[in-house]
Amino acid sequence: MTVPVESYQVGDCIPPWEMKSVSAEKMRTMAAILRDPNPLHWDRDAVAALPVVDTLPFKLGRRTINQGPLGLSYIINMMHDWMGPECVKRFYITFPQVVLDEDCVVARGTITALRKEGNRQLADCDVWLEHAERGVLLQGRATVQLSV
Amino acid sequence: MKTIPPEEEITALVGHEFPGGDYTIEHWENFLLTGCTGADPLPDGIAHPVALFHVPLYGANTSIGDMFKLGQAESDLSVIPEYYDWEIFSTLREAVKYRVTGKIIAAERRENSHGQTYDWLLFQFDMVEPGGKLAVRTSMAQQFTRNTL
Repeated sequence: MTVPVESYQVGDCIPPWEMKSVSAEKMRTMAAILRDPNPLHWDRDAVAALPVVDTLPFKLGRRTINQGPLGLSYIINMMHDWMGPECVKRFYITFPQVVLDEDCVVARGTITALRKEGNRQLADCDVWLEHAERGVLLQGRATVQLSV
Repeated sequence: MKTIPPEEEITALVGHEFPGGDYTIEHWENFLLTGCTGADPLPDGIAHPVALFHVPLYGANTSIGDMFKLGQAESDLSVIPEYYDWEIFSTLREAVKYRVTGKIIAAERRENSHGQTYDWLLFQFDMVEPGGKLAVRTSMAQQFTRNTL
């Protein structure tokens, strides 16, 4: 499918992608695949015992911390649903806040620039993952190919 | 108070190269990984880009633990990811043997806005597909906090 770049405008929103409840079980599977021994991703007691929790503006409680790659994957899923599974050409992401198990988070994005590179039609986008109460948890930029 | 490593030991990490190696994303691995993201499996053996965190590390024959040791991390909790930057030149696929190399391209002692010292390391990994074309370049900046967390 070829999507004419003229169909899109700077400021357009990417259809959001929602993770209704971040799963502690999926964090455990992810920890095994990543071979990441950090218990903060699979042991709620370890999170509750964190010495830094009092410095955070909210209670972590007994909730495991989502791996960074999992949080950013929700944003990638949003882009895949928008432009297909081969559309992401560049992805830059920062991690201002943690994502916790049972969080409801929504991936969002907007087009910031449209350009052509060879025969490819590209959209540069601001992308982020947000939580209704805690605001932006992950934030970054992506370049998406509009016609794959 | 923990002892902060000498700055010259940190800056000397620039140019450090990991052993390198090959990595093939298996179907089971991609299936489970994609499931963890909440997405359905992608078509035609396309691997979910979320693999671009661990595949470069393990393909280059290093690990999260090795990287933390190199930066003389005080603990697993003391290292904060600052950013990931992934450049995808070819679609990532299952069952393709990628040649992976990795190195440290920047290492600096810095201070945050609260006056706290940390060491900033920038890791870069290249994944080359059969035939020699660069498929993916990933960069990962990590903050090694000192007496902060």
